[in-house]
Amino acid sequence: MTVMRDTVVKSLAKINIQGDENGLIPEYDVLVNQLPAALLNLFSERLMAAAPPERKATVADGLVRAAYECGYHTGCGIITSEAFNDVVLPMVTEGEKDILRGAFAAFTAWGWAKSGIVQLKDGERMVIRANDYYEADSGGDGLRAYMLRGLCQAFFDLTYADPYPNGMDTFVCQQTKGIEAGDPHGEFVVTKK
Amino acid sequence: MPNRAERLQVTDTTHFLKGSLSLTNITDLVQFLAASYKSGMIHLTRHPGGVEGKIFFLAGTITNVTTDTLSGLDALSDILNWNQGEFQYNPDVTSIDKNVGLSVQHAIIEAAVLYDHRSEVVKQESTTHTGTTIDVTSDERSTEMETSQRDSTTVLNDLLMIPGIDAVVVVGRDGFVIESAGNSSRINIDELGASLAHASNAIEEMGSELKVNTFQDMFIEYGKAVIMCRPIGDAIAAVIAPDASKLGIIRHKTKKYFEELALLF
Repeated sequence: MTVMRDTVVKSLAKINIQGDENGLIPEYDVLVNQLPAALLNLFSERLMAAAPPERKATVADGLVRAAYECGYHTGCGIITSEAFNDVVLPMVTEGEKDILRGAFAAFTAWGWAKSGIVQLKDGERMVIRANDYYEADSGGDGLRAYMLRGLCQAFFDLTYADPYPNGMDTFVCQQTKGIEAGDPHGEFVVTKK
Repeated sequence: MPNRAERLQVTDTTHFLKGSLSLTNITDLVQFLAASYKSGMIHLTRHPGGVEGKIFFLAGTITNVTTDTLSGLDALSDILNWNQGEFQYNPDVTSIDKNVGLSVQHAIIEAAVLYDHRSEVVKQESTTHTGTTIDVTSDERSTEMETSQRDSTTVLNDLLMIPGIDAVVVVGRDGFVIESAGNSSRINIDELGASLAHASNAIEEMGSELKVNTFQDMFIEYGKAVIMCRPIGDAIAAVIAPDASKLGIIRHKTKKYFEELALLF
């Protein structure tokens, strides 16, 4: 037995989500917003377009960093949440690998990206593939799934690195393929920094 | 090795089916003749070397197989890998001796399994002799992937070239559909991925309980589809065929591609 994605997705999809008066959803120890994905894409696109050529890499790193911070805290909230304990933990038989499988299933259930683990070398390397993610619809040039990059790194840090805050930035994620760049899927490789 | 027990009732040799092994696949030929419930003998000569082989079948069943040095499933396993030489189909030739006695599909699958095991032994002996052992534990798969020459998309497309395969899918142990290719309109690939993961987990648990080692193959036959799947590294590969008529050849021909995929996942 291992963590079954469909079970996780179906269970989490049943949870009723209600935003507060500001449209924020207090879930996973963070405030999840309901801003449209197109707005987030436009934000990234305009930031990158406004950056001079010599600063584009720095701006891209900043976008990944923002996603990493968000992903680290949200990811921590996910894997310590009541829903995760109820749905995912009973299926965990392969330790950290199953925790990660559950985290990506939860990530898929929330509609952020249809993604999962392709390859995993415990505590050293992980390859993630995403078949559908909102940044695939973004405007701009090259590989630009900043959110997914930051999130993959955050999930791996949470699972294999030291506890917060020392474990942050132990690993780094590179995007190697992207639907937005014409590839059939997005691919993200996490390795030690 | 001449089969002393064969019974010949040949009247006209001009209407025999014959051809070259470089143009005709033996598995296809046997399946074709069996599908029409023919009885007879295929006489084969392998090049180079001039090794001779005979496959006798009776109404869809392979009854007897021999080569110069082998007999039974060992001989069939050997013959299925001949790709140079000639064959001739002789109708109405039967063998009194029986050393196989399986349906054509079953015999081909058993022969393919035998071939797999034999190849595995040869590989192990080879690595023992050369002293170059490849560690294929899960922790080392990433390293092997880096040395692979072809990506998974290319391998999946090659699998689709095998006659009888409609679609191919690679699924993670958690049911995540890593990659798919081909015409899968009859089947929801996401549902298939989830179902395969559940099924393979259950089968692995069963194997573990029964202490019969890890599972190697799974065949599921439905009215409108046949699904064959096999573990590849930390994932599961499945091929979908419209019917079971080519299952033997599919199993035989997919083997090397599955091995290639196992290095990638």
